[in-house]
Amino acid sequence: MADTASNAIPRAAGTDMRSLLRRLAPFFGTPLNAALTIVLLWLMARFGWLLLDWAVLKAAIFPAEPETCAGTSGACWSFVIAKSGQILFGIYPPTERWRAGLVCVLIITTLVASARPSAWRPSLGLVWVGMMVVVLWLMGGGFGLATVPTSSWGGLPVTLILTVFAIGLGFPAAILLALGRRSALPVVRTLSVLFIETIRGLPLLSLLLVASILLPLFLPDSLLPDKFVRALIALTIFAAAYLAEVLRGGLQSIPGGQSEAAEALGLGYWKTQRLIILPQAIRIVIPALTNTIIVMIKNTSLVLVVGLFDLISSGKAALSDPAWPAPSTETFLFIGLIYFALAFSFARFADFLERSGAEKRG
Amino acid sequence: MLQDARIRAITVQAALLAGVAALGYVLLTATARNLELRGIPLGFGFLWRPANFQIAETILPYSSSDPNWWAAVVGLSNSIFISVLVILLASVIGLFIGIGRLSSNPLVSGLCRVWVEVARNTPLVVLLIFNYALWWEVLPLATEAWKLAPGTHISVRGLSMPALTWSASALAPAAFLATSVAVLLSASYAARRRHIETGFRPAYVRAAWVLIAVGAGIFLFAYRDAASLDIPEFRRANFAGGWSLTPELTTILIGLTFYTAGFIGEIVRGGILAVRKGQWEAATALGLSRGQTYRFVVVPLALRSIVPPLNSQYINVVKNSTLAIVVGYQDFMTVVSTMINKTSHAIEGVAIILGVFLAVNLALSALLNAYNRRIAIVER
Repeated sequence: MADTASNAIPRAAGTDMRSLLRRLAPFFGTPLNAALTIVLLWLMARFGWLLLDWAVLKAAIFPAEPETCAGTSGACWSFVIAKSGQILFGIYPPTERWRAGLVCVLIITTLVASARPSAWRPSLGLVWVGMMVVVLWLMGGGFGLATVPTSSWGGLPVTLILTVFAIGLGFPAAILLALGRRSALPVVRTLSVLFIETIRGLPLLSLLLVASILLPLFLPDSLLPDKFVRALIALTIFAAAYLAEVLRGGLQSIPGGQSEAAEALGLGYWKTQRLIILPQAIRIVIPALTNTIIVMIKNTSLVLVVGLFDLISSGKAALSDPAWPAPSTETFLFIGLIYFALAFSFARFADFLERSGAEKRG
Repeated sequence: MLQDARIRAITVQAALLAGVAALGYVLLTATARNLELRGIPLGFGFLWRPANFQIAETILPYSSSDPNWWAAVVGLSNSIFISVLVILLASVIGLFIGIGRLSSNPLVSGLCRVWVEVARNTPLVVLLIFNYALWWEVLPLATEAWKLAPGTHISVRGLSMPALTWSASALAPAAFLATSVAVLLSASYAARRRHIETGFRPAYVRAAWVLIAVGAGIFLFAYRDAASLDIPEFRRANFAGGWSLTPELTTILIGLTFYTAGFIGEIVRGGILAVRKGQWEAATALGLSRGQTYRFVVVPLALRSIVPPLNSQYINVVKNSTLAIVVGYQDFMTVVSTMINKTSHAIEGVAIILGVFLAVNLALSALLNAYNRRIAIVER
């Protein structure tokens, strides 16, 4: 008895040591790993401390007034807190901001709901059309709400509206382009390839430039859309070309037997595409489609170059307030975090859906 | 008659062509009318008139009295300069990030993951603007510049580093180097063919290496004064001499490299993971050493899945370099936009922008696709 007892304690200590060693092995197991760990820990400690000192310890947070920031060398968060409404919603009339906020919630909800593969049925198109109509009504007004012209739209709603409208309007065009690129008719095929490859070969910025400089020359003044719609046209064309390539990937992975079987059943070209090919092809490319949505969220930030009031421009406008010391780093960090939160959580959600879908199938 | 597939196909295509032609005609006539109303003449004659605007930072020599076409070329050289530097830097850093993400050390893989996620989920415009704001907030005055390495300083005024300067007599060793690289390449190509044909590897490649190494040594010794380092020195308010980069250029280089390296890291990681375990085991079973396994099995297999997405990343770098406009660096797009504002030749200016970007990107993608075909799987 005494033997086992005396053995038990050192054994327990031994396994503790061993499990500790095992846990440390990835950090210090080889000379290279040990060196990397030490260097990285040192760097993290150094920069982590600087960051903590700036962002928390010396930061000016409350009350959210200009005087709070005056005496500090740290971050001026009170500016971000005081101006968050202006940064998020730009020059949208402050009394109507609840409408802009509702628009953001509505759009994000629709995007999240659409990422689920089970949502992909014909009624989803109707949901999107309905969402777009409601968004336009809430943002623009009319029918009982005060009208707000697009020139007063700003901030996050602009980013989100441009994203979903470019994708929602570009998607039907993308289907036609993707089918056109695989068409047996040479004229249709050539035109589709030319369109897709030209747009994909150009920087988005140059398309926005064309929309803002050249459209006024192309169109008579009476037909000329405003700045917002012009940027939206450029983004829609861009989204259509990229979505078409994503869809083509899905179309290519459908075996030829499917359309042959449809033909044998007596279905025409459009019925075959609508009932047999497209439902399968779109389901395959849903992960790639969600990825395109993230790319578009990021790309809408370019509209600041053609003078639209997106998040960055409204941040810049907030910074020009002479009462404050213009803490631009904090402001752009805040804006970057908004974009990151949107894109990152959407990507994780899409990953999760993809994995759970794969498990169900496997 | 509508049931005849051939006739229907011809009708549909004819209608489509007619539609496109009609749209083009409407746009052209409307444009011509608009231009007439505003009294804007059409033509590329403005390209030969003096530009009359400054370009703050140029790779090629430029002054505001130079013609517009030269200003556009100077802008294009700025864009290409950014793109080439970013592609080189981001490829190297991206390779390390890709390998780092697969590291057994959680600290390394975690930090690489943070890099990748931030790069992939933040718009490049925000990254650049944030970097630029950070630059002015964090960096010290030139008098208190931070020393990054011997001769390399960073301050609010920019980044200054030593530059390699060489005299005319450096031409001889440079020519020797170029010839010897050509000789080595053709020799190893011939040797490889011989190896495949006969199964024996000729010895002359090794002999060529030795000869060239000896020759290079002699040349280096004989011409040791031909090249020298120009180290920046602090004079009065700023560093002078050497190679200096403005805050704008440095911001773009750092921001775009950070962004692209994140994407390349994911591509590299995917490529390495795509090499199946069986390939490693088969290579070991064949008696290949670890180095040989990498050289003949893993790298060629990984490259096959890495190169196509890498190519589109490189083209993205060229497209993304246009975002230089948000921090005020004068790249091709900014220069031509300025030109449009000054001369109001909007149609010609935009045509130049679109034409040049299409040409550059098509040429680059043709080049990269040729490389891709060389390494792609040969189906026999």
